[in-house]
Amino acid sequence: MRSFGNLVWNEWLKMFKKRSFFLPYLLLAGAVILVAVMLYNFSGGDNGYGFAEMAVSTRGMGQMLTLLAVVVTAGTVAKEHSMGTIKLLLIRAQSRTKILASKYTAILIYVVTLVAFMLAVSVLTGQITFGMENGSATLNDVLQGSLYNLVYTVVYVTLTFMVGILTRSSGAAIGIGMFSVIVESMVVQLLARYSWSKYLLFLNVDLSMYSGGGSSPVPGMSLAFSITVLIAYLLLFLGAGFVTFKKRDVA
Amino acid sequence: MVGTNTTPVLSVNGVTKTIGRRNIVDGLTFDIHHGEIVGLLGPNGAGKTTTIRMIVGLIEMSRGDVLVQGHSIKGDFVKAIRHIGGIIENPEFYPYMSGYDNLRQYQRMSDGVSITRIMEIVKLVGLQDAIHKKVRAYSLGMRQRLGIAQALLHNPSILILDEPTNGLDPAGIREMRDYLKRIAREEGIAILVSSHLLSEMELMCSRVVVIQEGKLVTERAIGQAGENEELSTVTLRVNDLELAEQTASRLDGLTRIGSIPDEGALTVRLKEEDIPDLISELCNARVRIYRVEEHKSSLEDEFLKWTGGNRIA
Repeated sequence: MRSFGNLVWNEWLKMFKKRSFFLPYLLLAGAVILVAVMLYNFSGGDNGYGFAEMAVSTRGMGQMLTLLAVVVTAGTVAKEHSMGTIKLLLIRAQSRTKILASKYTAILIYVVTLVAFMLAVSVLTGQITFGMENGSATLNDVLQGSLYNLVYTVVYVTLTFMVGILTRSSGAAIGIGMFSVIVESMVVQLLARYSWSKYLLFLNVDLSMYSGGGSSPVPGMSLAFSITVLIAYLLLFLGAGFVTFKKRDVA
Repeated sequence: MVGTNTTPVLSVNGVTKTIGRRNIVDGLTFDIHHGEIVGLLGPNGAGKTTTIRMIVGLIEMSRGDVLVQGHSIKGDFVKAIRHIGGIIENPEFYPYMSGYDNLRQYQRMSDGVSITRIMEIVKLVGLQDAIHKKVRAYSLGMRQRLGIAQALLHNPSILILDEPTNGLDPAGIREMRDYLKRIAREEGIAILVSSHLLSEMELMCSRVVVIQEGKLVTERAIGQAGENEELSTVTLRVNDLELAEQTASRLDGLTRIGSIPDEGALTVRLKEEDIPDLISELCNARVRIYRVEEHKSSLEDEFLKWTGGNRIA
């Protein structure tokens, strides 16, 4: 266990020591504050939590977090190949499965810190700009929004992680990861009339559709159903990624 | 450390790599023992790199197995690879980290490597002054030294180097060679080097394994006479070539190979123990000898002979 911790720490340092490490945090904080100032000046807005909920949720600004996480994830395996460091990484007394698992774990930790950071900045900005008095939204709504966005981001990050392993190209991984995020809503609109579409990733990935009495795009879907579908997709992505990584000849 | 231990450190058993219908490496078998420096030679495309990568587990073998200290790379990778230190082509590091941080990465991945060990190795390769600089700022020679450092970090019993002198200048090559020889001698570490720089291999290795089209061509020791070369070829420089030839022809078991009258050079082949007799006979005959040179066929000559010439890298 200690050795796995060391591997995760290694992966974390590989991200952390880059100069660009703080960029996603800065961009997120900047965007949240900018939107807060604009809302305050032009529309007044409601209470602090209302703003924070909008900021952290997927349909608000949460998707921006997903895109940033996709960019960071794309490089984790692909960059080792393109820099050539994969050769020295894989000749250690550690199994490939363990090495890949440590990379995935580090990415998950990174996503959690991004979500937690955005949550904190959003709540703080909301409180300062729009005040603490209660409106329609509560802290609970904000936390729930964050949680759904975390799930949403983890799904796309895992997809990107797999593409990065399969293609060994961070460009392809960023491209496919971002493209999926962007076409998602279009796919939902186009295909929601077919009942089989409820098994598609895109129609299940945003769990916030079940909160606040909203209706699912296809009849017969529920929160439990969507969670099951998402877990199946995650296992598929990870399975494909791990098997490929383990078998791959590094030439 | 060099002792009577005769079990091979590395044992390559019938290793084969098939891609499509072609065998890139075909039933390759050889052993490497304690403290030995073995060169893996072959023309470009002979399968050197594939072989090395199969030994370190980067490429899967189609058939055969590699044993490191008795552990199979195929069946027990983690235990086997623990004994290997490798530099695969030019060592690549994370450029945005310092040399030290890069070594820490590998230290965390190996059991029982202390921070003191890092500094020890850094000193051994002479990187003390640059170890806290970013690798981005390193010269190729410095990166090569950092490469040796990461390979030695976990006290391996065998070093495996793929084209370690690629891109190094003559001074760098020499430095590298001196390191490797010292490591093999002082720490008893076995070393397997692949290269197409024949003169380099000649200076560095105690044995070469020559492969071509993935197959073993020959395996032989360097720096000592082979089986069919009990006879030495010697060139003498003398003042009186005619007299020398007359005198030499009276000796038994001596074959005249040729002479160059302008230079007063006479080349003969004879048994090593007969050389003193030849010299004293010549002295008695009042032939003045300026030089006696042994004629060694260079590794390059032999290599061309083994691999059928013209396809050398």
